[in-house]
Amino acid sequence: MLLKNVLVRLITTAITLFGVAVVVFVLVRVAPGNPIAMMLPPGATSEDIANLSALYGFDKSIFEQFVIWLGGVLRGDFGTSITLRQPVAELVLGRLPATLELSTMALFIALGLGGTVAVIGARKRDTATEVGLDLTSGAVLSIPDFLWGLIFVLLFGVLWPILSISGRIDPRIEFDFTTNFYIFEGLIRGRFDVVMSTLSHMLMPAMSLALPLAAMIAQLLKQNLKEVLNQDYTTLARVRGFSETSVILREALRNAALPTLALVGVQFTFLIGGTVIVERLFAFEGLGNMAIDAVINRDLPLIQGIVLLFAALFTVINLLVDLSYTLLNPRLRHG
Amino acid sequence: MTTQPHEKTLEIRQLNATLPNGMRLLRDVSLTLEPGEVRALVGESGAGKSMIGRAVLGILPSAVVHSSGDILLEGQSLNALRPKTRRSTVAKMSALIPQDPLTALNPVRKIGPQITDPLVRIHRWSRDRALKRALELLERVHIRNPERVINSYPHELSGGMRQRILIAAAFAPSPRLIVADEPTTALDVTVQKQILQLIRELQRETGTAVLFVTHDMGVVAKISQKVTVLFAGRVLEDAPTEAIFNDATHPYTRGLIAATPTPNATAEPFRPVPQDLIAQLQRDTQAEDMRFYQGGRK
Repeated sequence: MLLKNVLVRLITTAITLFGVAVVVFVLVRVAPGNPIAMMLPPGATSEDIANLSALYGFDKSIFEQFVIWLGGVLRGDFGTSITLRQPVAELVLGRLPATLELSTMALFIALGLGGTVAVIGARKRDTATEVGLDLTSGAVLSIPDFLWGLIFVLLFGVLWPILSISGRIDPRIEFDFTTNFYIFEGLIRGRFDVVMSTLSHMLMPAMSLALPLAAMIAQLLKQNLKEVLNQDYTTLARVRGFSETSVILREALRNAALPTLALVGVQFTFLIGGTVIVERLFAFEGLGNMAIDAVINRDLPLIQGIVLLFAALFTVINLLVDLSYTLLNPRLRHG
Repeated sequence: MTTQPHEKTLEIRQLNATLPNGMRLLRDVSLTLEPGEVRALVGESGAGKSMIGRAVLGILPSAVVHSSGDILLEGQSLNALRPKTRRSTVAKMSALIPQDPLTALNPVRKIGPQITDPLVRIHRWSRDRALKRALELLERVHIRNPERVINSYPHELSGGMRQRILIAAAFAPSPRLIVADEPTTALDVTVQKQILQLIRELQRETGTAVLFVTHDMGVVAKISQKVTVLFAGRVLEDAPTEAIFNDATHPYTRGLIAATPTPNATAEPFRPVPQDLIAQLQRDTQAEDMRFYQGGRK
C-alpha cells in the first residue's frame, strides 16, 4: 500500500515536471526578444546572427531543440548558461541553499508569529483584543511582501540602521564555505560571527516574506481554534479543571492545525515565488535574484533550469505537507 | 480535599440564568443532593435540565448572564470563590459523563493520557498511580485488554466502548459528585441498558452522588431516588422517585409518566402530554416573566 502510494507519487511528479519543462521551453522561445540579439554588439550582420544562432542550436525547430535538451537533462546535463558560461546545474544548485535558508526562515517566522497571534486571539475571543488582532492581521495581509521589504529598509536600514540591507553576508568575514548553507554550516562549525552576520542580512527579507503569510495563518488558525473550542472534548477538559490556555494548547491546537496546514502548504509555494522580487530588493544572492537576471538577459538554458528547480521544489513541499498530515492526524495512519 | 463528610453534597439555591435577550433559562431553581444519592432532572427539551448541570460544573454557554443564586459543593459556596479557585475546586470534587461519546474524546490523542492527564495535572497524582487507576477502572467498566485500549485512538473504538471509557474517566478521581448529561441518549438501545447498569453499579460501589439529566421516565425509574421535574427552567415538582410514580402532585408530571411507553402496554395508544396543559404552563411562564421584569425595572 505504502509502496503503491510512493510509486503513484513519483509518476505524477515526473508528469508534472515534464509538463512544466514543455511549457517553459516553448514559452521562452515564442516570447519576443532573443538571446543572440543580446549577445552581439549593435550593427552585427545577419550572417553573424545566423552563425551564432547555429552555434547555440537556435536554428533548429523548437521540437528538435527540446529533444536535445531533454536528452541532456536525463543525463544530468542542464546545458550551459549563455551569459555566465557555466553549467546551469552548477549555477542553480549553488544558489539553491540561499533561497532555501531564506524561505525556511520566513516559514518559521510566519508559523511562530501567526500561531502565537492565533492562540492569543482564540484565548481572548469575543473581546476587543480579538477585534484588534483581526484588524491588524487584515492590514498586514493587505500589504504585499515587496512593500514590506521597502518599509523595513526604510525603518531598519535608514532611519535606525541596525540590520544589513544588501547581500547575504558581510564580505569582510573570512570563511571558506564547503556548502552554500551559511547558517547551517556556521552553526556546525561553531562560527557564530558567520551565523549572526547571515541572520542580520536575512532578517528583513525573511520578515517581508513572512508577514503576509503570518497574518493569513493567524486568521485561519484562530477561526479553526474557535470552532474546535466549541467541541465536547474541550468542554470536558474545562470540566476537568484545565485552564483555557491549557485547553487551547493541549486539546485544541493539533486539531485546529490540520486545516491550517493545507493553507500553509499552498501559501509556502507562493512565498517561494515571492523570493524572486524580495531577493532582488535586498540584493540577496539566491535563485530568485538569478532568475530575474536570466530573464533580462534571455538566458534560455538558465531560465529553464531555474523554473524546473522551482517546480521540483514545489512538489517536494507538497509531499512534506502530506506527510505531516499523517503525522498530526492519527485517523490517516491506517490503510 | 479531605473535608468532613458534609450533610449535602450539592445544594443549589435560587439559581437564575438569563440570556442577553431577556430569555430566562433557569427560574429560581433550588435543589439538594445528599451523599450517595441519585437525583434525576427530567423535562422536555429546553426545560433547563442540562443547564443546571452546566451551571454546577461552570460550563454555561458564554452568552448566559448569571443573574442570581448560589451553588454549594459540600457546603462550600462557589460564589465566594475566585474564578481560578472555583474551577479547580469544582474539578476536584465533581466530574461529567457527557452525552455524546463520539465527540467527547479528543480525536488526535490516545485514550490513556485523556484519562490520566487530569489525575496527574489537576489532582497531582504520580504518573504510575494515575496509570494504575486508569487500567483498574477500564477493567471495571468491562473493557477487555485495557493495556491495548489506552494506546488506542478514539476512532479505533466503538461508541459503547468510548462511553464506558468516559465513565471510567469520570469515576477515576473518586469525585463526590457526577453530572451525567443524558449519557445514554446517543447510544444504541441495546448498549443503553448496559451503560445505565454500569453507572448504577459504580455509583453504588463508590457512593458518589449523581445528578442524572434525562428526558426518559423509564430511566428515571431505574436509576434515581429523587426526581426534579422541570418546565421552562422552573421546578414543577421535587419528590422521591417512588412518590412521583405512585402519586405525582403536578398534572404535568402525571402527563410525562403517562407518555412513557411501556413494553407490556403495546395495545395502548401513545399518549403525549396534553396540549392544553402545556399551553397553560406556557401562559403561566409568560405571566411570571411579566411580573419578573416589571418588578426588576423598578
